[in-house]
Amino acid sequence: MKLKNFALAVALLLAWFLGIPGQAWPFGPTKPVEVVVHTGPGGGSDLFARAISEMIGKEKLVPQRLQVVNKSGGGSAVAMAYLAEKKGDTHTLGFFTGVWVTNPLTSKEASVTVKDLTPIARLVLEPAVVAVKADSPYKSMKDFVEAAKKNPGQLRQSGGSVTGRDNLTRLVIEKATGAKWVFVSFPGGGERIANLLGGHVQMMVMEPQEAGEHIKAGNLRVIASLTESRLPSFSNVPTIKEQGIDVPVIPQARGLLAPPGVSGDVVKYWEGVIGRFAKTPAWKKYLNDNQFEDGFLTGGSLNKFFDDLGLQMRDVLKEAGVKIVR
Amino acid sequence: MDAINNLVLGFSIALSAANLFWCFVGVFLGTIVGVLPGLGPPATIALLLPLTFKMDPTTAMIMMAGIYYGAKYGGSTTSILLNVPGESASVVTCLDGYQLARQGRAGPALGIAAIASFVAGSFGVLGLMFMAPPVARFALRFGPPEYFALMVVGLAMVVFLTGRSMVKGVLATLVGLWLAGVGTDVFTAQSRFTFGHMELLDGIDFIVVSIGLFAIGEVLINLESRTGAQIFKVPRGLRNLLPTLKDLKDSRFAFVNGSVVGFFIGVLPGAGSTIASFLSYGLEKAFSRNPEMFGAGVIEGVAAPEGANNSETGGALVPLLTLGIPGSATTAILLAALHLWGFRPGPLLIQENPNLFWGLVASMYVGNVMLLVLNLPLVPVFAQILKVPYFVLYPAIFGISIIGAYSISNSLFDVWMLGIFGLLGYFMRKLDYPAAPLVLGMVLGKRLELALRQSLMMSQGRLSILVGRPLSAAMLLFAVVLLFMPMLGRVRAWRTRAIEQELL
Repeated sequence: MKLKNFALAVALLLAWFLGIPGQAWPFGPTKPVEVVVHTGPGGGSDLFARAISEMIGKEKLVPQRLQVVNKSGGGSAVAMAYLAEKKGDTHTLGFFTGVWVTNPLTSKEASVTVKDLTPIARLVLEPAVVAVKADSPYKSMKDFVEAAKKNPGQLRQSGGSVTGRDNLTRLVIEKATGAKWVFVSFPGGGERIANLLGGHVQMMVMEPQEAGEHIKAGNLRVIASLTESRLPSFSNVPTIKEQGIDVPVIPQARGLLAPPGVSGDVVKYWEGVIGRFAKTPAWKKYLNDNQFEDGFLTGGSLNKFFDDLGLQMRDVLKEAGVKIVR
Repeated sequence: MDAINNLVLGFSIALSAANLFWCFVGVFLGTIVGVLPGLGPPATIALLLPLTFKMDPTTAMIMMAGIYYGAKYGGSTTSILLNVPGESASVVTCLDGYQLARQGRAGPALGIAAIASFVAGSFGVLGLMFMAPPVARFALRFGPPEYFALMVVGLAMVVFLTGRSMVKGVLATLVGLWLAGVGTDVFTAQSRFTFGHMELLDGIDFIVVSIGLFAIGEVLINLESRTGAQIFKVPRGLRNLLPTLKDLKDSRFAFVNGSVVGFFIGVLPGAGSTIASFLSYGLEKAFSRNPEMFGAGVIEGVAAPEGANNSETGGALVPLLTLGIPGSATTAILLAALHLWGFRPGPLLIQENPNLFWGLVASMYVGNVMLLVLNLPLVPVFAQILKVPYFVLYPAIFGISIIGAYSISNSLFDVWMLGIFGLLGYFMRKLDYPAAPLVLGMVLGKRLELALRQSLMMSQGRLSILVGRPLSAAMLLFAVVLLFMPMLGRVRAWRTRAIEQELL
């Protein structure tokens, strides 16, 4: 009799724990977590994701390993499609950049948008600076814009894809100032710098850490920073707004998101992990070393960020004459 | 002399026990990576990066560089023995290397590949040591119009790859150029010829095309033969398994050609070892006394491209170490690795970190010697692969090819593409269309179009920019000369015949 009562009590307790919604065990990963990036090994996102996975592992913020998985192709199309397939999967995350927002706008094959996925957190904002050769006559952004106005279509800027931040920045500056200059796309970062150093183009939008070494060697000069406030490592370089060119700063953001159909408490778990990670000294050091801006953002503000960014991209691309397909 | 002092410093670092060990690990891994089609140095180096965090940065760099140039040594093995290009830079080696294997000269082919790689690799290191800063500065003068001209020179080489029918060769090149256009246009972000397939947004992978055309095509053709596929003659005796003195003598121009061409192409960011190997092969044939033998199994046809793709690694390290500019996928990862280890790659790297630079340079000498010692004795061992009966060998080739194609992006789509190009290779061979021009068109097509459009953007639509600059004009002239060279041979033959007829 006693045993039967005891068994009944245990069964009731178990039923209570498992039955009542919200009383389920708190979520925690029980097998290695996949982190999907849209570049191949060695690409920007890949290295960033590996560095972060390594740091999170060192801080022991997650009981399981974070494993970077490369799903490159079509910009971010393949990676996003892969995440969309993993509906409801709680052990998969994706590393997004600005490309994840712009790619679906211009590419018909990229059928998955950021709205289809579950945003978790934005981690960094990558600032950019405008660089020219050290022996060029442009000492400030104003000089360059004036020269471009005098000789429309003669000056050249090297950069990446036409939907990338560097070209979009050029488009908004052109619209605000009436100047016009040419954008020459180079698929590889090395070639963009090489063409600037070789004098084949006059200007380039680059990341501060790329510029740093060439400035130290005296090859390049930074004439503006494309940020809201001056960069700590370039404290004597005025921002674009300070120089009288009132344009929105087009951000290059990086962060994490999850596949569609992931439940609220899983999202909260990952938000918590990233939130704690963003406060660690190792992360602060990484931000400092790479000259990134801490762009930590979650929840409703993050959704708003994506919406705003999408609208901004749509406007700028349409003005540029790039075909919008979605 | 300053360089000698630095070299002594470098060797004192490179010959330490730890660095020797990791150098060996690197070159060994590199050789394996090179042999396996589909897996390449970029992926390997990226995967091993976390391991290097605990290592001394110079040692880590030595190992990574070892993987880089080691892969170039290994790539020739499967190209020669099985017509399966292990690396995209080894595609050209398939042309003559595989034919040499069919003639029973696989050993000499493998041996010459190793020796040429050693000679050219050493030249690349010498170039890096003595010529790095001025060569880097010269390379900066190459803008889009110069790249365009260089690609035109490459395409002009097609006249040397066509075999008997020029028309078929040109047709194959045009198909290759078209295939190069599949993907996303950089300038307008529009997709071309993707037929709605997301996997084609980045274009067709070159290694899939080459493995399909060469390896699968070859297997299919042999399957069809009623007499049963030929079993390759494997010569006996060590003397027949290594290159003869005559081979070495025949290849002496190829050694120089491969070394110089590879190094300079390597210095140009974005040019790559595939282009270097094609150019070197074409030049070798252009200036050869017996050009009609190329494609049928000529030893220089192996020496030149194999040398070129090795000295290219030395060249690619020049912009990386002197300017902090990566020229290829592998050097981009090395650049990122240098960042991760706390270095600041840029114009001041050599002055601020002499230990890293000179230690690396010295270890590259050591690595090249290690690779020669590793590869030469293994030549007879590898040559025995040809003894494997065809009913085991062909499925193995299929298997390696499929795994190689799949491992590129972990996608079955690439395997389907492999099948399609395998069938194409079979039909091309049946109808006597040469495959090499198609591959050449693909490799050069992307760069050619990119350079042309970049140049036109720079000049606002005026074509004159292509001939207005001295460097590009000179190269375009050279291309025209190359195009007319086969004609010169014919004119000479007519003249000889005319003179003979007059004398009769």
